[in-house]
Amino acid sequence: MNGGAILLACLMLATSSAIAEENGARLFEPCRACHSLDPAARNLPGPNLSGLPGRKVGGDVEFDYSPVLRKANAEGLVWDAARLDTFLSDPAAMFPGLWMATRGVEDAAERRALVRFLLDPSSR
Amino acid sequence: MNRRQFLASAAVSSLAAPALIRSAGAQQESPFRVKYYPVQAGMGSRDVTAAPDGTIWFNGQRNGTLGRLDPRDGSYKLIDLGKGAAPHGVIIGPDGAPWITEGGQNAIARVDPADHKVTLFKLPASTGYANLNTAVFDKAGIYWFTGQSGIYGRLEPKSGDMQIFQAPRGRGAYGMTITPKGDVWYASLAGSHIAKIDLATGNATVVEPPTPNQGARRIWSDSKSRLWVSEWNSGNVSMHDPADGSWKAWKLPGDKPRTYSVYVDDKDKVWLTDFTANAIVRFDPLTEKFTSFPSDKPGANVRQMDGRAGEAWGGESGTDRLVVIQTVAPA
Repeated sequence: MNGGAILLACLMLATSSAIAEENGARLFEPCRACHSLDPAARNLPGPNLSGLPGRKVGGDVEFDYSPVLRKANAEGLVWDAARLDTFLSDPAAMFPGLWMATRGVEDAAERRALVRFLLDPSSR
Repeated sequence: MNRRQFLASAAVSSLAAPALIRSAGAQQESPFRVKYYPVQAGMGSRDVTAAPDGTIWFNGQRNGTLGRLDPRDGSYKLIDLGKGAAPHGVIIGPDGAPWITEGGQNAIARVDPADHKVTLFKLPASTGYANLNTAVFDKAGIYWFTGQSGIYGRLEPKSGDMQIFQAPRGRGAYGMTITPKGDVWYASLAGSHIAKIDLATGNATVVEPPTPNQGARRIWSDSKSRLWVSEWNSGNVSMHDPADGSWKAWKLPGDKPRTYSVYVDDKDKVWLTDFTANAIVRFDPLTEKFTSFPSDKPGANVRQMDGRAGEAWGGESGTDRLVVIQTVAPA
C-alpha cells in the first residue's frame, strides 16, 4: 500500500468514524427523553448513562431499577460493546419484564454507531 | 355490557380460546373478575382502546403492529403499520377509526376499521424525532398529541394540517386527557408537572403538583372534570380540581410503589397500575381505599388502561397478553 493509499484509507476511516459518531448522537436523541450522558443530570425517568463502559448492568446507584435488572446487577453482569449491542437489538428479549419500553434497533450498523456513542466517555 | 352478558361471554371464550379467567388472586371475596387474552409472543402489547363494535384495538410496540382482539372468542388480527413502526398510544376517533401515535415512523397513523388500510400523517421534518406518546380528540374533532422529546401538536384529520408546539419545559410530555368541559391537559414525566393547552392558541400553561419531582406520567379526567394523575417517581395517585385549584394525593399501598398509568371508569372509580407490585390497582375516591389485582405472571408491566361500561382493559406488555377486569359489582 503506498502513501497515497494509506492517506486515503485514513481519511475514509476518519470519515467513517465521524459518520458513525454523528449517527450515534442522532440515534441517541429519542433516548434523551428519559436518559442523560451528563453525570450531573438527576431525577430523570431512566438511569443516568454516563460512565457506562465497564459499569455493572443496573449500576446507577441513584436509580430504582426493575427486578430483572436488579437481578442482572446481582449476578455481576457488566456493560460492554457486545452486551450493549445485544441489548439494543431487543431490550425486552434480553431482560424480560424490563420497565423500559422501546422497540429495538434492528439495523446492525446503526446499533454499532449507538453502542460506540454510548461507550465513548466524551459523549454528552 | 351487564354482568350476565359479561359472564356469558367469558364462559364461551374460556372454552373457545386460550383466554384465562380467574377471580382476583388476593380478593377472593371481590366481585371483580379478571380475564387474560394471550396475543403474539414478543409483540409488546401495550396501549388499548375499545372499538364501537365490541372489539379491542391494541398496539404492539415491539413488532410494529396494531392488533384487533375479538373478546368473544379471543381471536385477534395484527395489522403491520410499516417499516420500523413502534406504536405507543391508540384512541378511537369521531370517525370510529383507531388513531395511533406511531413513534417509529414519527407519524400519526389512522387505520381504517373496515379494510385496515393504514394512512400516515408524518410530522414535519423540522420537528425532528418526537418520541410520540399519547393523544386525544377535542370536541371540534382536532387530534392533539404529545411527544416525549418535548413537543405537543395538533392535527386536523380532514385536511391533514399539522402544527407542532414546543412544550414549555422541554422533554417529558407524556399522557394526555380531555375533560367533559372540553379542556385538554397533558402530563410531563421528565418535567414533573401537568399543563393545560389553550386550544385556540396552542399555548400550554404549566400547573405544578404539590409533590416535588413526582414524575407525572399519565392523566385522566373524571366526569366532574377533575384530573387524576399517576405519579411514577412518588408512587402517588394525585387529583387536581382545576375549578378551585386544589390538589390531593394518595400513596399506593406497598413498598416503593411505581404508579405508571391511570384510567377513570364510567363510575368515576380510578384504575392504576403499579410496576413494583406488578398489579392493577383500583382506587375508590369515595372510600379512599385501594384494591389490588396482581397479575398471575411476573413482569406484566401494564402501561396504560382504557375501558368501556363495566370493563377496564389493559395490555400486559411484559407477558404479551391483554387483561380485562369486570368493574361492575354483581347485583
